[in-house]
Amino acid sequence: MNQIAAVEPGVYSVLMDGRSYEARVEQSNGCVIVFIDGHRFEVEVRDPRRWSRQTGRQGVEGRLNVTAPMPGKIVRLLVAQGDTVEAGQGLLVIEAMKMQNEMKAPKAGRVVSLTALVGATVAAADVLAAIE
Amino acid sequence: MFRKVLIANRGEIAVRVIRTLREMDVASVAVFSDADRTSLHVRMADEAEWVGPSPSTDSYLRIDRILDAARKHGVEAIHPGYGFLSENADFAAACEAAGIVFIGPSAESIRRMGSKTAARQMAIAAGAPVVPGAHEALSGPADARVFARQFGYPLLLKAVAGGGGKGMRRVDSDAELDSAFRDASSEADRSFKNPELYVERLIERPRHIEIQLLGDRYGHMVHFGERECSIQRRHQKVMEECPSPLVAARPGMREAMGEAAIRVARSAGYYNAGTVEFLVDARGDFYFLEMNTRLQVEHPITELATGHDLVRLQLEVAAGEKLRLRQEDIAWSGSAIECRVYAEDPYNNFFPSPGKITRLTRPMGPGVRLDGCVYEGWTVPIDYDPLLAKLAVWSGTRDTAIARMLRALREYDVAGIHTNIAFFRQILEDDEFREARLHTRFVDEFLERRKPFMPPPELESIAEVVAAFHSKSSAPRTESASAPRSRWLEIGRHEALR
Repeated sequence: MNQIAAVEPGVYSVLMDGRSYEARVEQSNGCVIVFIDGHRFEVEVRDPRRWSRQTGRQGVEGRLNVTAPMPGKIVRLLVAQGDTVEAGQGLLVIEAMKMQNEMKAPKAGRVVSLTALVGATVAAADVLAAIE
Repeated sequence: MFRKVLIANRGEIAVRVIRTLREMDVASVAVFSDADRTSLHVRMADEAEWVGPSPSTDSYLRIDRILDAARKHGVEAIHPGYGFLSENADFAAACEAAGIVFIGPSAESIRRMGSKTAARQMAIAAGAPVVPGAHEALSGPADARVFARQFGYPLLLKAVAGGGGKGMRRVDSDAELDSAFRDASSEADRSFKNPELYVERLIERPRHIEIQLLGDRYGHMVHFGERECSIQRRHQKVMEECPSPLVAARPGMREAMGEAAIRVARSAGYYNAGTVEFLVDARGDFYFLEMNTRLQVEHPITELATGHDLVRLQLEVAAGEKLRLRQEDIAWSGSAIECRVYAEDPYNNFFPSPGKITRLTRPMGPGVRLDGCVYEGWTVPIDYDPLLAKLAVWSGTRDTAIARMLRALREYDVAGIHTNIAFFRQILEDDEFREARLHTRFVDEFLERRKPFMPPPELESIAEVVAAFHSKSSAPRTESASAPRSRWLEIGRHEALR
């Protein structure tokens, strides 16, 4: 008897130690995201022959980009290029789906770049500002 | 009864209204914007008409285009749903002028209740208790400062033309006042085309409890009891229940609130469906907040607890029929809960999460009701409110209703976008929620105290195995696909429940 059965596209039934689980799978940026009973697991599946160094995550050191978390419109800038900001300080306000959201500084530092323009439409992951 | 009705709305509420129209054998006409050509309400309606580009100001808010569509399709009445034009007195008046019935109250009632300051004055005149506050719109932050000197902080700035939490800000000190005033005023201007604000004393940790009303055009009005809507984020309700655990435990409270609500509505010459919202303080005293002159988002829980179809009743009284129900005919049974399922990420500041629904499994089984507008393959547009569906359950007691909601949420799977489905499970498991210690700051406090939701240890290894199996079976067959599983796998990071 198969331990794992594909039951619907992206849905797997798993029988293990007499217990039944259902796992739902989504593909995302080279990761497989597995949901089991509301819990989310990101699993990196690697082909050993195509191993490449994992790009390091940006730390608190150096320059940090602030990117749009969703498509939307810039409605207000709260800082100017060159300003010194505290971690968590509001940088700009973005509106999407009738909700206004304040984008906050990921760390304390100086606003070295502010590419966002009031009224501009932005796509998810667009770089809006950088803090150094 | 009407033969054909246009729904001047989209999303789940348009679908909801179409369902009752079909049960009543009334033809339905949907309207849609560019973004909604493939939306469910268009698919379900008998007829459909394009009313403009995606921005709602160019489509769903265009009175002229909605009325053109109504005339073209020969409808006798228009159901406005909630939001958009539903509380727009000019729209109600324009419908009447065009000889089309507006399924709602008169334009005059909407106008009187639409001004929060005028509604307060009406409530005072009708003998309903109100929260201390300004009687008129503020000319600027200085007016609010004067009020603060008299009543102290915290205070609440609110849009005169407001609703749904838009244009509302809590202010705790003089220092916050100017920026809060500016933000609230600009939000009010954008949302309601009216930047005016007024101010109220803020009642700390109040409950939000509202009374559902329905009246005919001949002065007969009944109430359908209360809904507890204290679970909110950013002043938007996310979860509601009927009955309110507080009201259910206090003999006479439902009747007292119901009678107060009817008195206020009567003083505005109100008919059709409406809701009077109250704030309830720690002592159980209630204060008139505002009246919503439309069908509420959360009406299904009242329908589940009373057994009445409010949309059907709206249509009947709009068609000029007498409301046959007497107050004593309305009875409440069991407990109903509703969760508003949004395309948003509750663990990333509730950011909207538009996108394509790649897979959808709906909850079913005993006592489950789902009012939704999504289907597999549909792309949630970025142009509108991200409400995907309202999941409601009914059961005999509050405890079994909570258990049923948890069960239904576990069956519910929406892939491709983030939703707040799992977030509701955490709230429903929360001790404070289970003990019904509810108030409008509940979600904020919950987010601070909630513990990480750790998966049982075996799930991680199951996730690894499934990921490997999935990659093997979905990747093109190459030599590497048969490499030993242990070398293939590397667990990245796993996150708590999202």
